[in-house]
Amino acid sequence: MNHPFTRGRLLALAFALGAAALAIPALGASAPTDIGSLDQQALAALPSFQAANQQLNQYGINLRKQYIARAAHASQAEQQRLGQEFQSKMADKQRQLFGPLFRKAQIAIASVASSKNLSVVVDKRIVIVGGQDITSNVRDLLTGIGDPVPPVSTPPPSKVGYVDQAAIDATPKVKAATDEFLKFKQSEDQSAAAKLKSAKSNADRDAVLRDYRKTLDDKQNTTLKPVVDATRDAISQVAKQKGLILVVDKGNIIFGGTDITSDVTAKLK
Amino acid sequence: MIRRIAVLVAVAALAACGHSTAQSASAPSGSGLVGYVRMDELVKKHPLYDQLARYDRSIDAFDLTTTAPAVASPDPKLLAREQTLERELSDAANRTNHLLAQKQKEYQEEENRAIDAALRGAARGGPSAAQIAGALNATARQQQTAVAAQAQRDLDAYRTDLGKQDQAQIAAVQKALNDRANRTYRAKADELQAKESALSLQLASDDAAERLALRTKLSSLALDDDARDQAQKQLAALDRKEADAVAAQRNRDQQTLSGLQAELHDQVQHDLDAQVAQIRKRSLGSLAQRQATLAKQVRTEATAPVISMIGPDGKPQTRVNPNLPPDLRARIERLHQDYQKRFQADAKTTIAEFEKTRQDLSRRYAELRSVDASANAGAASEIAALRKKRDDLYDQITAQIDREVRLIAQQKGISVVVNDVVAPAGGVDLTPDAMKDIESLHE
Repeated sequence: MNHPFTRGRLLALAFALGAAALAIPALGASAPTDIGSLDQQALAALPSFQAANQQLNQYGINLRKQYIARAAHASQAEQQRLGQEFQSKMADKQRQLFGPLFRKAQIAIASVASSKNLSVVVDKRIVIVGGQDITSNVRDLLTGIGDPVPPVSTPPPSKVGYVDQAAIDATPKVKAATDEFLKFKQSEDQSAAAKLKSAKSNADRDAVLRDYRKTLDDKQNTTLKPVVDATRDAISQVAKQKGLILVVDKGNIIFGGTDITSDVTAKLK
Repeated sequence: MIRRIAVLVAVAALAACGHSTAQSASAPSGSGLVGYVRMDELVKKHPLYDQLARYDRSIDAFDLTTTAPAVASPDPKLLAREQTLERELSDAANRTNHLLAQKQKEYQEEENRAIDAALRGAARGGPSAAQIAGALNATARQQQTAVAAQAQRDLDAYRTDLGKQDQAQIAAVQKALNDRANRTYRAKADELQAKESALSLQLASDDAAERLALRTKLSSLALDDDARDQAQKQLAALDRKEADAVAAQRNRDQQTLSGLQAELHDQVQHDLDAQVAQIRKRSLGSLAQRQATLAKQVRTEATAPVISMIGPDGKPQTRVNPNLPPDLRARIERLHQDYQKRFQADAKTTIAEFEKTRQDLSRRYAELRSVDASANAGAASEIAALRKKRDDLYDQITAQIDREVRLIAQQKGISVVVNDVVAPAGGVDLTPDAMKDIESLHE
């Protein structure tokens, strides 16, 4: 569900909201020319990925039919178990269909990055200016004859760092703050839903929603912001120690980069 | 070396002052640097952010009221009500059949007894035909009274059920009509808002070059006071022109919405009245049919002494005793045939009426379910459309911000700019400069 307050997005959002610049001199920053970018949507549009996607969709449709029939007369607990079984089977099928494609794509990306001396390749969506777009090179390798050959050398150390947001979210302090906020939000959701029901006009409705947003923002500032600030400080300190120029989320790194997650989580404990 | 120290001092100053625009403006420039922007903050400063926030609130409203799941799940009471009604109707039909069968049996026995009595009377001066008919009439009246009481109870129960079903159906129709009107209104409001946004963006884009030229002119220190004043006036006029155009459009849209609201209100009332009238008409029709059926069922049966005998083949046969006087025999035969015809027709009609009523009610409930289903589909597609509009608008906003950021990066000689950093580290923050440009789009 595309909800603006899902757990995974909470901290990312808060980071973005409160990203007060704590700039650190770019001592020995590498040349920006060693930063590459890749349009993942373009790769997903390749026939091999499309075919795998179609197969997965068809498998999902058939599997869903089976489970709906089985769940029709099942108890609640049994339905829950069936739901988990369904998810697990879908994940297995996804691994089976996409695993080889992803491995091949990773090799192609590494090969192109190596040939262009790139230390990091990021998702094109986060790049506004510059960076070497290697999408067409990777696409050519993937659609060409034969499998791409892995590079002989490992990528050079990158001045672009990354953190695994999920690992940071799992640290005790962040988790406690997130849980508290989510619990508060749940209660606010119910309260706002009740108020919406009794709203008599569009203006009333709008007022309820504005109030709801503001209440959540306020709570976010008191509950999450301190934790987010502390996390950002920890990231900045580690980045400074390692001479990084930028730190992005792991989800935006496609190849290379410097993983500082363990250093950051160690600081947060 | 001196230059490097100067760069470090400048960056350190930037770090100390965070978001300060002035500090950002003094950020080092030159090819080879990496910059970043805080996109979420820039989006909030964009002139179209209000529209984006409205979409977010609408999406919140859908999420909070969980319209889709509520509509998606069929009303469990609906099916239960239908099943209850069908069961009751089926029971009533069975009961009627049973009563008719019992009545037929009893009549048959009475007729047999009457024939025996008539034969005995003819042999030894027994009861006359009039006496036989009188005895049969008395029995028939007793049976009619019992049947009528049962029929009245059935009718009362049926009327009560029908009333409850009508209420439920009217409430459901009312809800569906209101939901439909709300959706229509919200869709129109969204459409007009999107058009306002598009107009606003179009005007800003049209004037972007002129505005940039004026701002560049104003930033020149060499500009004399008169020229500066003139440029500021031109800039203000540009802003005013855009604001006036958007405000005029908004006023027109507001009028359109007010008109639509009134029209929708009337439409809902009209549709509701029509639906209520239709529901009541159908109910009254069903009730009248039911009443007529029951009335027919309990209608006084003219006495029809039936002569029924077991034939030589062991099968029941109807024959008129040839020893009876011709007029009595003709009368008995006529009554018997009439009785048989009416009884069979009555039984068939009663069952058919029950079936018809049951089918009618089933159809009405199926219609209700279809109203639910269409409401569900409408809500789901509206949510999807709303999310798409929101995403499109967000893309529009970020595309414009990207254009501004590219210009700034070019001016400052920044080679790479990214928009989604967890921590900035040594990169150059272009957010304050971009924010100035974005804010100037709409003062």
